[in-house]
Amino acid sequence: MRAAVRASMAHRFPRLHVAGAPLALALSLAACNAEPPGAQAALIAKGRDIFFNETFSGNGRTCGTCHREERNFAIDAAFIATLPENDALFVAEFNPELKQNFENPRLMREFGLILENQDGFDDLPNRFNMRGVPHVLALRTSVASPQGPRTGWSGDGAPADGSLRAFATGAVIQHFTKTLNRVAGVDFRLPTDAELDALEAFQLSLGRQADLALPLPLRGTVAKRGQEIFLDDRLGKCNICHRNAGANRADRDNANFNTGVEDLPDQPARLTGEKVPRDDGFGTPGDGTFNTPPLVEAADSGPFFHNNAVATIEAAVGFYDGEAFNNSPSGKFLASIDPNGVGIELDGTQIAAVAAFLRVINALENIRQSLELLAQSEALGFFERAHAQQLLKRAVNETGDSIAVLTSGGLHPDAVAPLVEARRLAERAVDSLFFRRILAREAIQAQKRARALLIEEQK
Amino acid sequence: MRTLLSGAGVVIAAFCAMSYAHGQRATERYIPLGQSPGVSQKVTRIGEIAEVDESKRTVTIADPGGRWTVGITDQTRIWLDRTKLKQPNLTGSFTDLHKGRRVEVKYQDPERREVADWVKVEVARP
Repeated sequence: MRAAVRASMAHRFPRLHVAGAPLALALSLAACNAEPPGAQAALIAKGRDIFFNETFSGNGRTCGTCHREERNFAIDAAFIATLPENDALFVAEFNPELKQNFENPRLMREFGLILENQDGFDDLPNRFNMRGVPHVLALRTSVASPQGPRTGWSGDGAPADGSLRAFATGAVIQHFTKTLNRVAGVDFRLPTDAELDALEAFQLSLGRQADLALPLPLRGTVAKRGQEIFLDDRLGKCNICHRNAGANRADRDNANFNTGVEDLPDQPARLTGEKVPRDDGFGTPGDGTFNTPPLVEAADSGPFFHNNAVATIEAAVGFYDGEAFNNSPSGKFLASIDPNGVGIELDGTQIAAVAAFLRVINALENIRQSLELLAQSEALGFFERAHAQQLLKRAVNETGDSIAVLTSGGLHPDAVAPLVEARRLAERAVDSLFFRRILAREAIQAQKRARALLIEEQK
Repeated sequence: MRTLLSGAGVVIAAFCAMSYAHGQRATERYIPLGQSPGVSQKVTRIGEIAEVDESKRTVTIADPGGRWTVGITDQTRIWLDRTKLKQPNLTGSFTDLHKGRRVEVKYQDPERREVADWVKVEVARP
């Protein structure tokens, strides 16, 4: 049987059918690729380990409890439904000390909402917000502002100096505590300076490191039109706040806006009858503004808005055509400077087109990340298999996302086919002892074929 | 027209985003004195209360660098840091600023150093 497999693989991968053993080849390649990681790479690796494994002597949660890598560093109800009952996410359901005023299990399970106390801890039963989990991708491009760093849904998520580095300290206090006393050294330990450095480096390494430069030479008819609407300051007006589909109105200028999301009627969490206080956004007391998130990563990281108000990217775009937005301070101001006195007014086909554009640029980002991960895995030698497998699994996830964002929007079936092939190859590479690198290389080619169907090759 | 609209975009941004970034105060309360990342010993001062002027609502603090006075307003958050007692930290008030207590002060404006943004008061004895 083994001989038959070997013969079959030799036929499929003639370049590996060399005299001696594939192991010898793998060994030599491992030697070639075994470059010592730089100091920054080591810091990022340390940050990754802390992010996913460090509980800070608390209730068992880690950063990765809510920011799941396999769910684009966020979490939603569908993913939550797959978790075991003893997952640390559900700590409020099995730790008696956290049964009251720590989470709302119903809203967590049904809508993926997490309880936060941005306005203080003095009145726990009445002063809290129910918020979704934002992804932590592309933080390199989306935190800086002239007024200082903006983190979290309302831009004021971090204690101390408000920086991404300090964010973990606040998160440990809010989410990792064993009891509601929240005593440092008893209910948790605070991250050390070295841990904060590593966590910051890891988070900054995730996702895009630079904004896009729109317009892109997209091939899809509807997505191309969606991009035009997105960039049209008289129609979609999206680019005014989400320049280049990022989180900034200008370079390193991330901002807060009151867009009226809290005024949406029939918000899912409130339909349950559970107590969901109005979220006042930035500051204490809040000024009603929320932070601008990047859009490139949006389509595969819903639900949308700080309160998980809508589940699809189409509904998120449609929000800006509605009364809640157009009666908000941001909507009214857009109307006041519009020649026709209109805030944002889009028809159904235009909403679908903008959403299609967002889906396609999300898929392109998934492909970019997949290519990066596949290339990294290909560069690893035989004895670095565990690391390579980790990278390949992430590439499989990213490819699954690109397939999902396109198929859910009925977009680019021509590109979906090579993406499915790329995922299949990457999955095989995960399990392959000797042909991992060749399979990864083939997956890279399939990813490139898919990309060429979404966008013209840029010179 | 496009130029006009681009200019309008800038104006929108200016009008819509009046919020200034700052560190969240809610969880700050639970960070023990001197351990606030990026803030402690950088933009805060730690010392011992030497004098309290109730009428002027000021506190004079002594540290190895000398004595300095800071104003306390209604916006100033005062927290009782009871970490050493292994007790939860509490929201305090001006009356908790006793002579001899160790405090950490963050200024509202680090340049002018007149008014405290927050004060952490160490409570080391029950």
